Amino acid sequence: MMVPAGHAVEPSLSIRGLSKTYAGGVQALNNVNINVAPGEFLVILGPSGAGKSTLLRCVNRLVEPSAGEIFHNGAKITGRRRGLRAIRRQFGMVFQQFNLVKRLSVLTNVLTGRLAYRSIWRSLVYSFPEADKCIAIECLARVNMDHKAFQRADTLSGGEQQRVAIARALAQQPKVILADEPVASLDPKIARQVLSYLREAAQELGITVLCNLHQVEYAREFAERVVGMSHGSVVFEGSSLELTDDILHRIYYREPGEEEKEEA
Amino acid sequence: MAAPVAPVDGVLAALAARKRWRLHHIAGAAALIAFLLWCADGVNLRPRELAGALPLIGEYFYRMAPPKWEFSEVLWKPALETIYIALWGNVIAIVIGLPLGVLAASNVTRSAPLRAAAKALLNLQRSISEMIWAVFFVAAVGLGPFPGALALGVNFGGILGRLYAEALENIDPGPVEALAATGASRLQVILYAMFPQALPQFVTYNLYWFEVGVRSATVLGMVGAGGIGFELVTTIRLFEWRETGVVLLLILAMVTLIDLASTWIRARIY
Repeated sequence: MMVPAGHAVEPSLSIRGLSKTYAGGVQALNNVNINVAPGEFLVILGPSGAGKSTLLRCVNRLVEPSAGEIFHNGAKITGRRRGLRAIRRQFGMVFQQFNLVKRLSVLTNVLTGRLAYRSIWRSLVYSFPEADKCIAIECLARVNMDHKAFQRADTLSGGEQQRVAIARALAQQPKVILADEPVASLDPKIARQVLSYLREAAQELGITVLCNLHQVEYAREFAERVVGMSHGSVVFEGSSLELTDDILHRIYYREPGEEEKEEA
Repeated sequence: MAAPVAPVDGVLAALAARKRWRLHHIAGAAALIAFLLWCADGVNLRPRELAGALPLIGEYFYRMAPPKWEFSEVLWKPALETIYIALWGNVIAIVIGLPLGVLAASNVTRSAPLRAAAKALLNLQRSISEMIWAVFFVAAVGLGPFPGALALGVNFGGILGRLYAEALENIDPGPVEALAATGASRLQVILYAMFPQALPQFVTYNLYWFEVGVRSATVLGMVGAGGIGFELVTTIRLFEWRETGVVLLLILAMVTLIDLASTWIRARIY
């Protein structure tokens, strides 16, 4: 595996030998190995069905891997069910469909990012401490949505909803953000805006980002490093400058049977 | 011209092939009609006798006019009691039905035995009608509106619990996954991702069952469980038709008012 010189430090995230076969027999991931440096903006590039979503969902265990291990700052985060909530708290997630609770206000949606820090008794009466409200408003300001804090989420446009969803992820004060096709349902102008907000917030706060994309041009613009996936396997790993036509062909048009190995 | 015709022909041919199923439909409809006729014999359907009796029914209503309005002085208290019973019956129904509905919803409760137990309890509450529950509760806690409210609460709890469970099962799973991903506990996910989505349906069902509750509470009095039903039955037994007319008009007015109020509330909850 190629490891750039600056990444000799302990990786933020280390994915080792990860495989996932779903109950129906579909193999989504096949022996995936990826190291992610702290604070890195890593784009996982690949066509629909390459296993990108499954990969991200294995990290915060929305999907249980069939084999392999994942380490976060050296600690193993796969296997045990105990402490799962404390693990998930460190990973913010952003979805293609935004997944805001539409009938709740923008502010309450962001505050749900704080739930994992709070007791159920307080949650029962739908109340949050002042400190959480401050965090939520700050996070909204980072994505420039604080002026719509009291509006209902379903009154926002798609791009605005995704910015609120990013604020919700930031409110968790996460170490890592997992973004699963965050701009796939947005137009190009709004998509670039949303990706810029995500990258800036992550840079300022030192958050590592794993971002799934299927559009090459966004990967070229925003990625520091790109991992190319095809049929559940990693078929490319390197800088976005190295994305040649040949490599793109390998990512997007490789048949499942073909076993092309990357040259070292 | 030639190019688009071929696929059109293909689809039309497929459509014609599907029409062959119509034979089965006709056979099914014939079987259904036969079954209904067979059951008609079971309920002694006698349309001719009904036609002959229609004037008799009309005469009952004729005797009710003009309503004896002075009777309403006696009625307003049991009428209010009817509303109280419906209101508290619904409150008890929510207290019983909401937790059971949550336990019965397949996307909330993963344990199949727990879900089955909740469903069985809801079925039991539902299958015994509120009048029968009222008989039990009158025997248990004595005459009056309290056993009436308990009876409505238990029976409606079974119905509302079932409806709550269905409303929860129909919500968008996306926000549920998003909140689970933040590390929120199961109960927090239910409170912040599931309840807000199902809330409009919850409110709609409750308003509708409040209206049903008022209607039910008008007959609970027949078994001594309070409300306006006692006056209704008494006036009918004493052949005081003009008083019966007042009672029926009052019930109609209450149901109409509640219908208007619930339309108003529902327009504001969405």
